Amino acid sequence: MKDDNAAYSYPSSRCDLPTTISAATWAICYLGSLWLLKHEMVGGWMRVALVILPVIPFAVFLRHFVSQLRNLDELQRRVHLEALGYAFPLSILFFMTLGLLDVAQILSSKDFSYQLVWSYLPVFYAIGLVLSWRRYR
Amino acid sequence: MTNLLRVLRAERRWSQADVAEHLGVSRQTVNAVETERYEPSLSLAFKISRLFERPIEAIFDDSVTTHARPPGQSAG
Repeated sequence: MKDDNAAYSYPSSRCDLPTTISAATWAICYLGSLWLLKHEMVGGWMRVALVILPVIPFAVFLRHFVSQLRNLDELQRRVHLEALGYAFPLSILFFMTLGLLDVAQILSSKDFSYQLVWSYLPVFYAIGLVLSWRRYR
Repeated sequence: MTNLLRVLRAERRWSQADVAEHLGVSRQTVNAVETERYEPSLSLAFKISRLFERPIEAIFDDSVTTHARPPGQSAG
């Protein structure tokens, strides 16, 4: 058997194929819906359907993601928990700061619409993952 | 808490990946336990104990970090 003291590699908890495919499907549906709604390509009840459309692939993604989390070992689960521990307060700080900037009239709420702010949340989670993994390297 | 995991693994000429496979955890977890950055759960400690056929206390030593006292013993 070979000796393996090789350099630490980043998470073996990286996304598996079903999780990646469902995330990609959700992203395509979301961007497609956004484009169609922005360009007013459809009207009436179809607009509501387009708003709801990304929910379906996201539900599939969530199912795969949670299933993947359940298959992780104890350290990997701890890393993800700590990542949430970073991401949640960072999200609070982020939204609080945006609110204060709005009150201070430095930044208009039109500049940080709901179309954009959600995209920071996975970034905070990723930052949390990196920070937490570094601790156990 | 210190441990002899690296020594025991070296004695058997196993890689971290080999140990990880036997224990059903990732290689990163084995590495983190070996480098004492992560203290395994009791369940994982038992698995390690069975794998190397040694009692848990022969593999893990918490005398350096423990502050626990037997019941009834005051702080003094």
